[in-house]
Order: sequence, then C-alpha cells, then structure tokens
Amino acid sequence: MSADIQAVAAKDGASPALLHADGVGIQFGGLKALTDFRLSIHEGDLQGLIGPNGAGKSTAFNVLTGVYQPTQGQVRVRGAQVNGRKPHQINLMGVARTFQNIRLFRALTALDNVKVACRAQTGLHQMSTGLGAKFAAARHNYADWWKALLLTPGFQREEKRLTEQAEHLLEVMGLSHRRDEEARNLPYGEQRRLEIARALGTQPRVLLLDEPAAGMNTREKADLMVLIRKLRDDFKLGVLVIEHDMKLVMGICEHITVLDHGETIARGAPAQVRGDRKVIEAYLGDSYLESHGGAA
Amino acid sequence: MQTPALPVPESRPLVPPSLRGVAPVVVALPVLALFQWLLGGADFASYLLSVMGVNIILAVSLNVVNGMTGQFSIGHAGFMAVGAYISGVLSLQLKEVALSFLPVAASDQVLFMLSLLVGGAAAAACGFLVGLPSLRLRGDYLAIVTLGFGEIIRVVVQNTDSFGRALGLSGIPQASSPAMVYFWVFLVVLAARRLAGSSHGRSLWAIREDEVAAEAMGVDTTGYKVRAFVFSSFFAGIAGGLFAHFVPIINPGSFTFVRSMEIVVMVVLGGLGSTTGAIVAAIFLTLLPEGMRSLFSALGTEGSLAQRVDQIRMPIYGVLLVVLMLARPQGLFGSKELWDVLPRWLPRKRRGLA
Ligand SMILES: Nc1ncnc2c1ncn2[C@@H]1O[C@H](COP(=O)(O)OP(=O)(O)OP(=O)(O)O)[C@@H](O)[C@H]1O
Ligand SMILES: [Mg+2]
Repeated sequence: MSADIQAVAAKDGASPALLHADGVGIQFGGLKALTDFRLSIHEGDLQGLIGPNGAGKSTAFNVLTGVYQPTQGQVRVRGAQVNGRKPHQINLMGVARTFQNIRLFRALTALDNVKVACRAQTGLHQMSTGLGAKFAAARHNYADWWKALLLTPGFQREEKRLTEQAEHLLEVMGLSHRRDEEARNLPYGEQRRLEIARALGTQPRVLLLDEPAAGMNTREKADLMVLIRKLRDDFKLGVLVIEHDMKLVMGICEHITVLDHGETIARGAPAQVRGDRKVIEAYLGDSYLESHGGAA
Repeated sequence: MQTPALPVPESRPLVPPSLRGVAPVVVALPVLALFQWLLGGADFASYLLSVMGVNIILAVSLNVVNGMTGQFSIGHAGFMAVGAYISGVLSLQLKEVALSFLPVAASDQVLFMLSLLVGGAAAAACGFLVGLPSLRLRGDYLAIVTLGFGEIIRVVVQNTDSFGRALGLSGIPQASSPAMVYFWVFLVVLAARRLAGSSHGRSLWAIREDEVAAEAMGVDTTGYKVRAFVFSSFFAGIAGGLFAHFVPIINPGSFTFVRSMEIVVMVVLGGLGSTTGAIVAAIFLTLLPEGMRSLFSALGTEGSLAQRVDQIRMPIYGVLLVVLMLARPQGLFGSKELWDVLPRWLPRKRRGLA
C-alpha cells in the first residue's frame, strides 16, 4: 500500500507476516492486561486465541487494531510498524475485526452497514504524516464530497459498484434476505454474521474475530466455523479467532495461543496445547470447565 | 425539492445520469422566479419569508452536524455572524462598483452573490479551524469550543471599528430577495439530502451510531466530522450573508448564544437527523412569535404582551423542549423524513436512509 511496506518486504526477501506482534504489552493503571504478547499471522492461517475470562484476549485485539496503544513492544502489518496509527489507518492496511459485544450501526440497514465499510476503502488516505500528503488527501476527500453533492456520473457509478460489492458480501454470509432491514432488528446470530460481512467489506488480508460464535448453539457454532474456514480460503485471509469453546477451537484451528492474566501460557498445535499442564490449571483454576466447558 | 433516492436500479431513469446533478436546479429557477413575481411588493410577507428561509438554512445545515453526525455544536450563530459581517462589509465596499457589461440590477445581484460566497467561505474556514482540533476529541469538547467561538466572534465584532462595534453595521445594500433566500434554501436542502443519500452521508450516520466501529471499519472519523462541520459552517455563513442584506442593520445582538440555542431547538424539535423535520421546525418556530403577537393583539391585551413576545420566546422554547423530551424524545420525525412518516396511502419512498 505505502512505499515503506514494500521497502520492508523487499529487504526481508521473504514476505513478512500479514500481522505480527512482537513482545506487545499494555498496562491499565497497575493492571498488566497484556504482557510480552507474540503472534504472527500469515495468509491461509486459521489461528485461535483462548483463555479464561479476563485473560486479555479482547485487549490483545484492541492493541492489534490500534484501539489501544501498546505500552511495550511493536505491532507490524506486513512489515510496517503501526504503533501510533489510528484504527482506521490500520484497517486500511488490511486488518479487519469484529467485536465481542456486537457493534453494528444499528439504525442502518444491513446493506448500508456493509457499504460503509466498502466505501471507506476508496478514499485517499494519508499514511505519512507529511504536510504535503495531508494536503493531497484533504483535497481528494473534499473533492469526493463535491462529486456526491453534484451527483456526477462517476459518483453514481461508484455508488452502484459499492452496492453490488456489499450485496455480494451479504450473499456470502447468507444475509441477502435481510438486505433492507435495520441491523438492530436482526436476530442475534445474523447480527454476528453481518459483523463479519461488514469486516469483509474493508477487503482485509487479516480477519480478527472476537467470539463470533458467542450465544449460538453447538450446531450453529459448528456451521459458523466451517464458514470461517471457507472465508479464509475464498478471500485468501489470515484469520485469528477468539473462542471459548475449547472443543471447537481445537477442532478447527491449526495454531493456538493461550492467554491467562495477560501472559501467554502456551502456544502451538491443538494437541500440544491440550496436554499442557499450565493450560489445564488455568482453566480448572478458574473453574472454567464447569461454567463454560459444556455445550453452552 | 426531494432528490431521487440513490440508487435507482429498477425504474428507467427519467433524466440521464449526466444531467441528474443539475436537473433540480433547472426546475427550481423558474419556480423561484414565479414565486418572486407573485410576492410582488408585499413587504411584510417578504420579510417574514426571508427570516423563515434563513432559519431553514440554519436548521438544515446544523442538522448535518448535530443530527446526522451525532455531534453537538452550539455555536451556529457565530458562523452566521462571520458570514453576515464579512459579506456585509464586502458589499459596503462594493457599493459604488458596477459591472459595466451588465445592467445595474443584474450587476448588483452578481456582486451580492459574490459577497455571499466570500462570507460563506470565511465561515467555512472558521469551521475548519474550530473543528479540526475539537472534533478529534470525544464528547463535549465541540460544544464547549463552539460556545466559546460564538462569544469570541461577538467580542471581536464589538471591538472592531469596521464592523461597527456594538452599534452595528447599517447601510448594507438591501440586495436580498425572497427568491434569493429560497434559492439557497433549495441548495442547502438539496445538498443535505444528497449528502444523506450518499456513501459519505452513510459514513456520517455510522459515526453517529458507533464511532469506534466506524473507525475500525476504515472510516476516518475525524476527517468526516470536520468535513460535515465545514459544510454546515459554510451554509451558516450564507444564511448570515442573506440576513445582512435584508435587515436594516446587523449588530452583535443578532448573533448571541440565544440565537444559537434557537437553532439547536429547531433541530431537536424536528428530530435529530431529519432534514424535513428541521424545515418544519424552522417554519413553526419562525411563525410562533408572529402568531403569538397577533393572538395577543387580537385578545386585546393592550399591546403590552404582544410587544413582549420576544422576551417570553425563550422560556416558551424551554417549555416546548421539556414537553418534547417527555412526549417524544426523538423529535417530530426522529431521524426519518416527512415521507417516511406519512400515512400509508400516500406514495412512499424506498426505505433506508436515502
Ligand atoms: N480500557 C480498560 N481499562 C482498564 N482495564 C481494562 C480495560 N480493558 C480491559 N481491561 C481489563 O483487562 C483485563 C482483560 O480484559 P479482556 O477484555 O481483554 O479479557 P478477555 O480475555 O477478552 O475476557 P472475556 O473472555 O471475558 O472476553 C480485564 O481485567 C479487564 O478488566
Ligand atoms: Mg473478550
């Protein structure tokens, strides 16, 4: 996207990870919500991030996407360091996410929810902080508004293209029948899928899903996991999923990172992680298995 | 005055895409000319209609920021003042100038339009300067900063000779006409509706709904908010410019905090996010004082109450707001438009925000 990314890619020889966290940590007051967090996501990955409640999983997402600024370590997107960048800039570099507590644009229709995301990708965005780049971006964006106000043919074509793109994504997520319905009126499970459709609208390379199956029954969860795997293949994504259901995560993910109290207590293939003493302790210690281990 | 909803896939377009941008203007101009002709020399009606038009421009433009984008600006009168004074001073300077290649009346209108645009641009520039730092921050910063801005403008005017200080600026050519005012009403409504129906408008709605999510979906929320604010300030400046050219005198008293609140009340009353709501509320709140005046005179309360309408107006607005918050907190139309809330048997527009 920007020159510095390509430069890094060329220097390394091999293409760098799509998303890379290097010893990332964040502190809220005295609370170390995340310490020395390491993670690399490449295209085609389907990784899991698990841990008991309050382990720091969502915090890790927030740091990776720029919502929180890490107090230690670095986050890199395709080799370019993104510490200090705003969430929308990181998104434009190819990292999209969903939220644990669904954050749709509730009063907008399903289609418009996705279109907002599609649209955001077409603007000219300044990645460098230089005054000249800022000015060029501003000129471009103000000109874009003029086109909308004057209803230029180019603008009308663009709107049509966005609609088609968004319609396609709704179809992929099985939401075509909800096209013109307000997001807040959708059933819970469909809201979660709409969030994924919206994230895909930003044309990401990496997709971060925060408990996408929460509140679904076992059957729906399994279906969703199959769909996520399909999305990874069709859209050539790297995917990182937070999920509480151990069985499910073990079944689908190829690589798992386990957090507890902000620390990474295990990482590796499912079989490896499953047998790990620390992992069992962390979960049993929080009497996790009793409360969450079932079909929930 | 409504624009076709975007997109219109099924129906064969009546107007080719390349002309859809200007078609409404082409239709509007003869209508405005007819309107002006019908009005003729009705002075009071012209004045009242102009005041109403200015209020509509103010309410519709503020609605873009406070309604569609979900921010809270309470200094709209400040931007109006910038437009009024800049265009007023410019018109005073250009009083003796005439464009030789045009008839005098046409030349006056061209120069008037020029001062209007300069006033609007100055207000827009102020909007940019005020918005850029304050819209970066969440919460109530914008309210505080816009409030401060309105007061600063007043103090600056009161201490500047060329703005006439507290006495005010008089002798500005009375170049405005209801047709000109309503031409701008038409433009602001057209622009606001097109914005609302466009992907930019959708991004503004998204910011209003959930700023964190919008940002995560790649929307440059600060940039969008600033653009909405500049848009809004520009039209406030235009409204001020128009105002300055049909009232005998402008002074700082016309652009007080009370005036700003009046515009906020219009937007809230109409429903945050509803353009037609803002229009209806602006009309209602312009006519209300006039109605009260005539009512009190008719009741024969020997003129005293009728003369004090301007003083009791604000308390009445306050009561109105309280009643509204209790009975219908979302305002008259919520964030819907007039045609969305019309009875079923009337033809409806497509659902959605466009
Ligand atoms: N903005 C914040 N300010 C202060 N503390 C925070 C903040 N965000 C998160 N925390 C704290 O960080 C810890 C980790 O929270 P986080 O939401 O990341 O947990 P989680 O692993 O996602 O848990 P869950 O499974 O419940 O979603 C918690 O103790 C939480 O209270
Ligand atoms: Mg969480």
